[in-house]
Amino acid sequence: MIAAAVLQALNGASLAALLFLVASGFTLTFGLMRVVNMAHGGYYLLGGYVGLTVVEVTGSFGLGVLGGGGAVVLLGLLVDRLLLRRIGENHLAQVLLTVGVAFVIGDVALRIWGGDSLKVPVPPALRGAVALPGGLVYPTYRLALLGLGAAVATVLWALYRRTQLGAVVRAGVDDREQVSATGVNIDRLFLLVSALASFLAGAAGVVGGAFLTLYPGAEWEILIVALVVVIVGGLGSLEGAIVGAVIVGLLDAYGRWLLPEFSYFVLFGPMAVLLLVRPRGLFGREA
Amino acid sequence: MSLAGLRRLGAAAAVAGLLALPEVAGPFWMGLATQMSIFGLLALAVDLLLGHAGLFSAGHAAFFAVAAYTTAILQVRHDVPTALAAPAGLLAGTLLGALFGLAVRTRGVYFILVTMAFGYVVWGVAHRWSSFTGGDNGVTNVPFPALGPLRVASHTQYYYVVLGVVALCALGYRVLVRSPFGLTLRGIKASETRMRSLGVDTGRHLYVAFLLSAALASLAGVLYVYYNRFVNPVAASFPVSVEAALMAIVGGTGTLAGPFLGAVVVLGLRNWVSSFFELYAAAMGLVFIATVLWAPGGVVGLAGRLRARWAPGAVSPATAR
Repeated sequence: MIAAAVLQALNGASLAALLFLVASGFTLTFGLMRVVNMAHGGYYLLGGYVGLTVVEVTGSFGLGVLGGGGAVVLLGLLVDRLLLRRIGENHLAQVLLTVGVAFVIGDVALRIWGGDSLKVPVPPALRGAVALPGGLVYPTYRLALLGLGAAVATVLWALYRRTQLGAVVRAGVDDREQVSATGVNIDRLFLLVSALASFLAGAAGVVGGAFLTLYPGAEWEILIVALVVVIVGGLGSLEGAIVGAVIVGLLDAYGRWLLPEFSYFVLFGPMAVLLLVRPRGLFGREA
Repeated sequence: MSLAGLRRLGAAAAVAGLLALPEVAGPFWMGLATQMSIFGLLALAVDLLLGHAGLFSAGHAAFFAVAAYTTAILQVRHDVPTALAAPAGLLAGTLLGALFGLAVRTRGVYFILVTMAFGYVVWGVAHRWSSFTGGDNGVTNVPFPALGPLRVASHTQYYYVVLGVVALCALGYRVLVRSPFGLTLRGIKASETRMRSLGVDTGRHLYVAFLLSAALASLAGVLYVYYNRFVNPVAASFPVSVEAALMAIVGGTGTLAGPFLGAVVVLGLRNWVSSFFELYAAAMGLVFIATVLWAPGGVVGLAGRLRARWAPGAVSPATAR
């Protein structure tokens, strides 16, 4: 029983790592650019599919991650420049527009990669399982994912809180005009953050595709779970994305284990509580 | 002829056309017209919040689906008559609305995200709890509705039932949005702070609007399940929610005719496109994008803009309210 509970904690934590990769980009683009990008799940799926093809052709998982992330960076730039730019800060319009983009991505991906669940092959070094203290055995890949998530979270947090670039981004979140008036090229900053968010989503698709598999509809599932992360953590907050990912990851794992048929309903719980107590999320600020 | 007279004439012609439709249209077109009415009603439900209260729900498929499932399960598995199964569906969806109405504690983007996530929970339960919901196969073999000796026997008859229910809802809706309650909602949409400083409990008004909107979506769900004769998790899926919002926007938000016009345009377009183009989901995506970029005011707004161009000085309905 305890062993099973620990295993579920590991499952939850490794899922949290993946959720963080998706949710952090979503929350940062909102924080800085005030853009709600519902195509973020589509970015994840497309990145995963492109990465899968790259892995199949080159045999290298690392190149797959770079390829998936890179392809999505290009697409993200196009969506930003050609579409989102034209509608300004109207959130309703942003949602409809990016939902449209996600529909196009999903349908085109369905025609190219088909409707079956596809699994990105795990790199040979990470196949199999490791023995943990206490007689537990756990898949190496998911432990590596856990490490990757923690590493990315640490690096992003340090960049955001401890560097000058991060300070400028934070200032941009607070007051864009003021930052721009001090001579910062806000446009280049947006470009950078948007590219980073796209890359994280695309790379997450490859990494996630190796254990959650890729299939039509996965774009909405991952997006909505990432949205729960963002709602719980607070929209626009990096720390919120970290804490939210851990909460949602653990709840999901224990929910699937204890109440398999209602595992989705388990996600409703934290949102409902939060709405009653703190509608802006744990780290969210009054808008 | 005056503008009001013209509009009245148009409405009369539309009603006559709808009533006479079965005389000229085959089964395919009858089915499509029934669908348009049902989804128009769902879009109207979404628009009560969107067009009148300024809240964009991305999860209304939840109420639609819960009502459809409840009615279907009662009718198919427990042989409950329509007179009980249909109200039970309506009630179930509305009760879910009472729970999900928590979302009105948020505004703006948060409201969109929260309703979307709530809606997804319902989809997940429909999909996973297969012992009760039938999983991806859903509940099948739903009969035509019957009230005692009155039995719907054909799609044409059911078309008239749907038309009658939708007409009643439209009349009720018109009364509602012109009532002090409806005007208060508009006030909240324009400026919530101002309404609050006038002493209005805005949270309670929005909650009631949410409940009414969920009830209307549930009614659409009940109508849908008797039309479709089965229900599966697709009815609860995110595309259904967001397409309902698209219909309201394509037609023109904040109007009575808009959501129905939008349903005609969106469903008509989808049927037409899917007859020759395989990527029709992508085509729907392009409709979303095109609407946002070029017709944010929808058909009604477009008509107003054209009228303003042809008859300078005339006030368009979109700006005059």
